[in-house]
Amino acid sequence: MNHKRVITWCVLGIALAAFVSSCSKSPRYKGKIGVTCMDLTNPFFKLIANVMQEEAAKYGYEIVALSGELDPAKQNNQFSDFVAQGYDAIFLNPVDSRAAGEGVKKAHEAGIPVFTYDVQVTDEQAKDLIVSHIGSDNYQGGLLAGESMMKVTGDQGKVAIITYPEVTSCILRVNGFKDYLKEHNSKLVIATELSGKGNRSDGYAVATDILTAHPDIVGIFAINDPSGLGAYAAVLKAGKTEQITIVAFDASPAGKQAVFEKKLYDSPQQFPRKMAVGTVEAFIKYLNGEDVAKKNFIPCAHYYYEDSVDDKSRVTEQW
Amino acid sequence: MTRKLLSDYGMFFVLLLLCVLFSVLTLKEQMPEGSDAAARLIEQINNEFKKSDIILVVGAVNTGSGPFAEAMFEDLRGEGFSNVEKVVGIPRDLKLKLDDIRAKGGVLAAIATTGDVPKWLVIELIPEKYPEFSGYKVLAPKSYMWPVFLKRSNLLAIVDRIVVIALIAIGMTMVIITAGIDLSVGSLIALSAVIGTLLMKKMGGLHASGWVVLIGFLVGILSCGIVGALGGLVVARFKVAPFITTLGIMMMARGLAFMITGGFSIYQVPKALPWLGQGYSLGIPNTVVLLVVLYVAAHIFMAHTRMGRYIYAVGGNKEAARLSGVPVKFVIVFVYIISSLAAGLGGCIQASQLNTGTPNIGIMYELYVIAAVVVGGTSLSGGSGRILGTLIGAFIISVIQNGMNLLGIESYTQQVVLGAVILGAVLLDKARSSGGMLAFLHKKKKY
Repeated sequence: MNHKRVITWCVLGIALAAFVSSCSKSPRYKGKIGVTCMDLTNPFFKLIANVMQEEAAKYGYEIVALSGELDPAKQNNQFSDFVAQGYDAIFLNPVDSRAAGEGVKKAHEAGIPVFTYDVQVTDEQAKDLIVSHIGSDNYQGGLLAGESMMKVTGDQGKVAIITYPEVTSCILRVNGFKDYLKEHNSKLVIATELSGKGNRSDGYAVATDILTAHPDIVGIFAINDPSGLGAYAAVLKAGKTEQITIVAFDASPAGKQAVFEKKLYDSPQQFPRKMAVGTVEAFIKYLNGEDVAKKNFIPCAHYYYEDSVDDKSRVTEQW
Repeated sequence: MTRKLLSDYGMFFVLLLLCVLFSVLTLKEQMPEGSDAAARLIEQINNEFKKSDIILVVGAVNTGSGPFAEAMFEDLRGEGFSNVEKVVGIPRDLKLKLDDIRAKGGVLAAIATTGDVPKWLVIELIPEKYPEFSGYKVLAPKSYMWPVFLKRSNLLAIVDRIVVIALIAIGMTMVIITAGIDLSVGSLIALSAVIGTLLMKKMGGLHASGWVVLIGFLVGILSCGIVGALGGLVVARFKVAPFITTLGIMMMARGLAFMITGGFSIYQVPKALPWLGQGYSLGIPNTVVLLVVLYVAAHIFMAHTRMGRYIYAVGGNKEAARLSGVPVKFVIVFVYIISSLAAGLGGCIQASQLNTGTPNIGIMYELYVIAAVVVGGTSLSGGSGRILGTLIGAFIISVIQNGMNLLGIESYTQQVVLGAVILGAVLLDKARSSGGMLAFLHKKKKY
């Protein structure tokens, strides 16, 4: 008897679960979207790919995310594969703004719409073929970094810049930084500008050398959080945390945490989620026959200690 | 008989197996496109609709549904349907057309289309946004199944992605047969590409003629040849291990490529640049022609010339070769020059495919090239190996990469699978070359 009752309840339970799940079922499967980005081992791009996946699923699309592994030829091949497979759209984050143009032309010839995010395609013929671009306003973010640097140093002394000149968005950040200082007749002197290759270990190495050559600097602007945190490690080792203030970029969770611990003074914030959601929305608008804006720039925002205190995302998020 | 077949073409069967596997896995519903499909649909429209009904024919721009829509439109007009409308474009164009029909007070009777168009949201949202069109139907031809892997465009993509690696693998096969190794090829790709494109930029850039492209390519290739000669001399004359010599060159060449360009891409290139890597001759892609010609030449060279036999002799036993009068040092320098020239040519093709000279191309290519050679059955200890085996090895790598992309396998997983397949292929090769695979099977039966 008892067994029977248990079984009955189980069956009823399963039926109910099936019913509920069929009610909340995701929309009918429509097709696939190919995503190829610079480097999926970079958590920033991984997060964007994941959010795109969630967003696209709401409309019945599946995301196939591949990594260009910083190799323009590899990305070009991935484009060919997406085109051969006849995907419904391609979301592109170019490894090389020029070389990616060849893939874009191929997709266009096959009638597949291409959307770019984070980095734009600059090839003369290909850039007009892009349906829509969404990215951070890196130049404006650079202005913010300049503003913070002037404020925190009292506009007095020498500063160093840790760059990553291989990447356009990083060049824009540095340009914004310099332009802000110039426009405001800053008395800050840029002592040196060296590449930290956008990662922690090279940032550490280059900052160590900067401190050897210019022991009297008062500030460092690093073009992203990893190189900024690398620089902090070097400053800490030299025992100069009181003398030198670091402004980084991105406000990644690690960066936010560092701002909270007062290792970084500011880290102008990028919004990868908005970028991912915006890209998917642009595609849906396109399918809807709506007019899609050619370019969308998401402004960056300051991220100070005050912002970090109540911000849970520095612990819960990961990129 | 079986054993002979297996030992000669073992890797070929692996390639065939992979092709069959990916064909089965990528079977996908295809919508008929072009004008034939239109004819069948017209019959249906003739039966179901009045000649005065508004019928909208839709095709997506640049896809097979475009010509379909054109043909359909003409035929329906010919059949006497007076209110046929046509849209070939993007979803936005369709929406504008629908607005237009509504503005004129028309009532849509049917949308005839094919390909991906029925998936456009505009069509799905018609009941919601255009309630006036309540009776409309979406008509599309019957779909059929066909593997994406075997589509013409995909097969060409497989060749396109491997052509650089396969060409360099010719030189690498020779180097490895002499028991050497050349790690510099990946960096030489970049060096040749940036030297070539920089020269083109300096000699007129965008408006330069095809001859400038040829000169750029030749200079790029020859510079690599010189680097290869120096490397070969270091190996042959000073007996420095090839691994270290070419490792040094690899770093120097990469650094040079970045120095020359300042880290930026060179894109002010002549219009003729894409011809080599993207163009066609007599309907065949130039890359395919190049691949066939060079592999046939290399095969004849290795199998039927004295120099070819010298290369095997040096790898088999250097001392014995020297004693029997083989110019060992010359042979060694020669293979490194060939390998570097091949890498230089690879750089030209890559620059042509990307229409840009970029210093960060070819990273890790040396390892893919070596993998192709080894998968193709050439022994890393030298003395044995075949050029055509290398071609098969290169295609195995290309097919795996392409197939995994088609299946939408994640990038992280791809690396694991590719590594495992390379290892598995070599293990299989080892087993069969020692007659081990059949012996292994027999052994099992005994138990």
